[in-house]
Amino acid sequence: MVFQQEGPDQPVVHNGTVHAPDAELAMLNARDVFVRRPEAVALWVVPADAIFTQTQEELAKAEPADQAASELSDYYVFAKFSQQAQCRQVGQVQAGSPQAAVQAAIATFADKQPLWWWVFPASAVLKNESSEAEPMFSAARYKTYKDQAEYPVVTMMRALRDKGRLD
Amino acid sequence: MERARQYALSGYLIALADDELILGHRDSEWTGHAPILEEDIAFANLALDEIGHAKLWYELGADLLGQDKTTYPDRLVYFREPAQFRNMQLVELPKGDWAFSTLRQYLFDAFEALRLEALSQSSYTPLAEIAARIRTEELYHLRHSQAWVPRLGLGTEESHARMQAALDALWPYAQGLAAPLPGEQDLHAAGIVPSSAALFERWSGEVSQFLVEAGLQVELRSPLADMHRSSHSEHLPALIHDLQSVARLDPEAIW
Amino acid sequence: MYGADVEQIAIQLNEDPQKLADFEARIARGEKIEPGDWMPAEYRRQLIRMISQHAHSEVVGMLPEGAWITKAPSLRRKLILLAKVQDEAGHGQYLYHAAETLGATREEMLDALLEGKAKYSSIFNYHTTTWADNGAIGWLVDGAAILNQTMLARCSYGPYSRAMVRICMEENFHRKQGQEMIILYSQGTPTQRAMVQDAITRWWWPTLMMFGPHDADSPNSGVLIRWGIKTRTNDELRQDFINQLVPDLQACGIVLPDPDLHYDEATGNWRTGAIDWDEFWAVLKGNGPANAERMAARRQAHADGYWVREAAAAYAVKNQNQ
Repeated sequence: MVFQQEGPDQPVVHNGTVHAPDAELAMLNARDVFVRRPEAVALWVVPADAIFTQTQEELAKAEPADQAASELSDYYVFAKFSQQAQCRQVGQVQAGSPQAAVQAAIATFADKQPLWWWVFPASAVLKNESSEAEPMFSAARYKTYKDQAEYPVVTMMRALRDKGRLD
Repeated sequence: MERARQYALSGYLIALADDELILGHRDSEWTGHAPILEEDIAFANLALDEIGHAKLWYELGADLLGQDKTTYPDRLVYFREPAQFRNMQLVELPKGDWAFSTLRQYLFDAFEALRLEALSQSSYTPLAEIAARIRTEELYHLRHSQAWVPRLGLGTEESHARMQAALDALWPYAQGLAAPLPGEQDLHAAGIVPSSAALFERWSGEVSQFLVEAGLQVELRSPLADMHRSSHSEHLPALIHDLQSVARLDPEAIW
Repeated sequence: MYGADVEQIAIQLNEDPQKLADFEARIARGEKIEPGDWMPAEYRRQLIRMISQHAHSEVVGMLPEGAWITKAPSLRRKLILLAKVQDEAGHGQYLYHAAETLGATREEMLDALLEGKAKYSSIFNYHTTTWADNGAIGWLVDGAAILNQTMLARCSYGPYSRAMVRICMEENFHRKQGQEMIILYSQGTPTQRAMVQDAITRWWWPTLMMFGPHDADSPNSGVLIRWGIKTRTNDELRQDFINQLVPDLQACGIVLPDPDLHYDEATGNWRTGAIDWDEFWAVLKGNGPANAERMAARRQAHADGYWVREAAAAYAVKNQNQ
C-alpha cells in the first residue's frame, strides 16, 4: 500500500497500491507510478497484510482487546471519513496488538467519527529519508510538458477560425 | 571566457549530451516491453530524464557557440551524420536483455554520479548549476539500478548467469569511461571540468566492490583498442537512422 | 430485463431481494459502493470485466505509439510521447489495482489477456503508419476516451471512479498534445499537411467505433446504466464526440472521409454516414490489422520478463530468511 504526502502541511493519505516483491522495490515503484507529476514531499510503503482495518459496524461487535498480553509498540492510525475521501493519517498510538491499537485510537481521537479505522505498526513502514526527497520528487517539477496548460489549443483554434474568416 | 575555450567547452558538452541522448534512446526501447508494468514506467522515467539532460547540455553548448538554444539542439540531434556523434560506444550497444540494460545503466549511472559531483563544483557557473540539478535526478537513477543489480546477481541461477554474461560483454566497453572527452585536457587545467581518468579510478574501485557483493566476477580485461569517442560500432548508424527518420522527411518543417 | 423491478431482478440473478433493494437505493442516493460493501455478483462481474478490459487497453495501447518514441522528430516531441506512453502504463497500473479491489488478481487478468480470453479496445489493433498518427491518436482516440472516462469518473464503484478522476486529469495532456500537433501540421509544410490528412482519414472511423455498438445492439448497457456504472449510452457519447470534433477538424482544413456527413439544423447535431460494424466486430474478434502483432508483443514481453520476476521474488525470500 502506498501513502503519499503532497505538501509539508498536508496529511499523509492512502494513494494506491504497487506490486513488488520487497519494500525497497515497492518504494521505487511507488515513486515512479505516483510521482510522475510533482505532488509529493513524502512517500510511505506498507505491506498490505500489515494493515488492520475495522469499520464502525465491526467495531460494535468487537471484543475488548487484551492490552496486558504483549509488549507495546507504535502504531500509525489512519481513518476514512467519507465514502469518497482517501484514508488519511490522524495520529499515532502505542498498543500491544492491532485490535488494541484501534481501541486506543478511538480513546485518543474520541472526537473523530470515521467510517473505517486503519492501523499498522510503525515498524512495517518504509518511508523515504527526508534527504532523499529532493532526488525522488524534484524531477517531476521540470517536466512541464506533462502539463496540459503547455498546449494552448483553444487559442490556436480561435486563431485558425479568425484566419479562416479573413481569407 | 575566451572564444577558443567556449568552443572547446561546447564540444565537451555536446559529447556529454550525446551519451545521454543515446542511452535514453536505448532505455526508451523498453517502453511497452519491460518485464513488469512498474518497470515500463521506471525505464520510461530513466529515458525521460536522460533525454531531458541531453537537452540541457545541448542548450548550454548552443549558448557557448552563440547559437539559438531553442533550435540548435534539434539541428545537432537530427541533422548530424552518425560519424559526427561523440557518445561512447557503451551507450550505443543494443538494449540486449534486461540484465544487459540494467547493468549498463548501473555502470553509467555510477560514473555519472561522480562526474556530476565534480561538474557541480565547476568554475564555470552556468555549467555548475545545471550539473547540480541533473545530479539530484541521477541520484535516483543510481538508487534504481543499485536496487536491481544485487537482486538479479543473487536472485536465481538464471538471473546470475545473465548478469555475469552482461558484465562480461559490457566491461570492456565500460573502460571507455576513462577516455577523455573532447577538449578535456585544457578545460580540466582551467578548473572547468574533472579528469575522466581520475574519476575512473574512483569508479573502478566502487563499482568492482559493489559488483562482487552482488555475486558477480569482475575480470580485469584489457581495454578496447580504440576508446576514442569518434569511433563507433555498427550499431550507431542504425540507431541514428531510426532516430532521424521522420525529421529528415522534411528538413524545412517545424515538428 | 433491466427495466424490470427489483424483485424480478433479484429472482433472475438469485440475489437477496432486500439486499439488492438496499444496494440500488444507495446508488440512487448517489453513494459510492466500496470494496467491502455488499454488491450483487453480477455487479462485481461486470466491473471486473470492464475495468480489466480498460486496464488491458492501456497496456496494449502503449504499443502503437511506443513504436514511434525512437523516431519522434524533435526532442520536445520525443519527451512528450515518452511521457504519454509512460502515463498509459501508469493508468494500467491504477486500473489493475481498482479491479483487484473486487477480488481479481493482476496475474489472472494478465493471463486472460495473454490467452486471448480478455478483450481490449479495438482501436489499438490498427497500425500506426506515419508519425502524424500520434497526433491523430492524441486528439481523436484520447479525446474519445476522455468522454467515456469523464462519465466513468462518476460511476457508482468508488475505486474505479477515483482511478478515473486521476486518469482524466492526465488524459487532457494526451489529447491536447495531439490536437496541438494536428493544428500545427495542418498549417505546416505540404509534407506535414498530407501526413495529417492521411492520418485523420485512417483514424476517423475506427475512433467512432470505439464508443461501441449502437445502443440497440449493446448487450451490457442496460444493467450498467441501472447500477450507475455507466450514466450515458454509447450513442450519446459518440454524438458528443462528433459534434466536438467535426467543426475543429474542418477549421484545420482537414476533409473527413464521409460523403454523408452533414449538419442537422433541427437537432444541432452533425450526422455521419453508416458505421461499418462488420469491421468493428472483425477487429474485436481478433481479425484486425494488428491484433496478432499486439498480442505477440505482449506475450513476448511477458515471457522475456519471467526470469526477472522470478529473480526478484527469490531475492526477497532469501533476504527474509536471513
